[in-house]
Amino acid sequence: MPRRLLAGACAALLAVAASACGGSDTETTEDGLTKITVGAIPIVDVAPLHLGIDQGYFETQGLEVEVKNTSGGAQAVPGAVSGEFDFAFGNVTSLLVARDSGLPVQTVANGVSSTGKDGEDFGAIVVPEGSDIKSPKDLAGAKVAVNNLKNIGDTTVRNSVREDGGDPSNIQFTELPFPDMPAALEKEEVDAAWVVEPFLTTALDEGVTEIASNFVDAHEQLTVAVYFTTEENAKKDPELVEKFVTAMNHSLSYAESNPEEVRRILGTYTEMDEQLIEDIRLPAFPPDSSIESVQAVGDMMKEDGLIKEDPQVDALFPGRP
Amino acid sequence: MTAPSSAPAGAASAAPAAPPAEPAPRSRRPPGGDALLGTGGVLAFLLLWEAVPRTSLVSADRLPPASTVLATLAERAATAQFWTAVGDTLTAWGLGLAIAIGAAVLLGFAVGTVPVLRAYTASTVEFLRPIPSVALIPLAILIYGTDIASTLMLVVYAAFWQVYIQVLYGVADIDPVAEQTARAYGLGRWARIRYLMWPTALPYLITGVRLGAAVALILTITAQLTIGSPGLGQEIAVAQSSGAPHVVYALIVATGILGVAVNTGVRALERRVLRWHPSVRGEAAV
Repeated sequence: MPRRLLAGACAALLAVAASACGGSDTETTEDGLTKITVGAIPIVDVAPLHLGIDQGYFETQGLEVEVKNTSGGAQAVPGAVSGEFDFAFGNVTSLLVARDSGLPVQTVANGVSSTGKDGEDFGAIVVPEGSDIKSPKDLAGAKVAVNNLKNIGDTTVRNSVREDGGDPSNIQFTELPFPDMPAALEKEEVDAAWVVEPFLTTALDEGVTEIASNFVDAHEQLTVAVYFTTEENAKKDPELVEKFVTAMNHSLSYAESNPEEVRRILGTYTEMDEQLIEDIRLPAFPPDSSIESVQAVGDMMKEDGLIKEDPQVDALFPGRP
Repeated sequence: MTAPSSAPAGAASAAPAAPPAEPAPRSRRPPGGDALLGTGGVLAFLLLWEAVPRTSLVSADRLPPASTVLATLAERAATAQFWTAVGDTLTAWGLGLAIAIGAAVLLGFAVGTVPVLRAYTASTVEFLRPIPSVALIPLAILIYGTDIASTLMLVVYAAFWQVYIQVLYGVADIDPVAEQTARAYGLGRWARIRYLMWPTALPYLITGVRLGAAVALILTITAQLTIGSPGLGQEIAVAQSSGAPHVVYALIVATGILGVAVNTGVRALERRVLRWHPSVRGEAAV
């Protein structure tokens, strides 16, 4: 009977699911546009995608994009693998981990890169006002907040500590959502935090001290996140991928050369305050990923034990030098 | 069959303790006094909320005062985006609750009427019931992606047990004398279900529905918040990642109002469906 009970519950669920899950087969709209779904977290990093849609770059390529807001990078990979998203936005660490565990994801376009300018990047290691921690090496043994454990935050923070001549082995990383970090720093619940925009600006306004730009320490042109798909999708419809990449590259170039446009579009898909939008540091949006920087991050991940095998950078960026 | 340990809480609390024969009401509260008191409570809470961010206890940047939040909510309520989100939330809630009730009633009656089945499934039910729906989120995403279906899976799972357990208790509560009388008068299986089992179980079922409705709403918002399926929960998540606490709290207030509305609705349903039941008749007499 328990089996029948479960079966009953499952049948009810499946009936609903059958109508809701369309699968990954592409549809065409009345205007002859191909409908695609892109999974993206609603933060500053995906401004070029929204800007490109706004500017009609995707329409020119015959694509109608539906952006599905994911609430974190954790949904992006399963969403793409399950076929819910045709493309998704994900950071390089998550993708290297996915490849390491046998999920066939591959990059199609660049997503977001570090500005490469120390002290002017969109993410930073910060400490409470008047802290004894003056530079990354002092973080040895400290309690450091990152948004996700075993991801790009702790990996690059460890690297910054190593580069500064410190020992990262006994840093206590704690998981804390970015929005909660300014408060945690103010109450000194953590000794330091890796914060990204817009919370970096909020925290700096409240008096925290920036001690390092961990992305810049990792590589001068660090590719932080990319747009990706599955190998299956890429094989099935290479033409569609080509169109998406062309539109995405246009969008990235436009965003890179028009920061005021990036700030304008931020007002449409986020809830950020106008003043905050004006004040934040924008990341870089070059159309090309720096494979070398991804290799560097991959090597750090191997060293820290996030991945078991050598990082599959070539497989993640197929057809790139 | 022993009496169920958990009587329908709603029906019991709805029945006033004061004997109706008493000519002078013992309570000194004027008619409609409960509503007045309730409004007073809300006002006091709002005043407290307005005051706290103005002290050094919490910074107004983290917890905006009530006036700011309510103004933001009023602004939101004028946008189509807000009402689409409310619609998405109510759709997921309503669908999930309906599926849960349907499945729970069918299974509850089927299992409840066969003592062997009931005993056979009891431990499995007690094992599955306490599993928090939220723990199923990774599974839901894996099977259904971030669509409404994954929200529904969580909502149905959580609300189902609330209703199912009540139906089981309701079916078990049939008066043996009434049962034997029905049999003696030659009532068939369906007639007994219709005239004996259904009216006996109905108050329990309604209590289950009320509990389930609240749980379903909580799970709908939670799923949207963490999975990112469209609705008020997702709007809250977007506002959070944009560092806009006044919007976050405005949307939280909106979910609270939705909760009150849902509860009021189910209570109205309860009074309608159970108007013949002593608990509701007693309430109406006061």
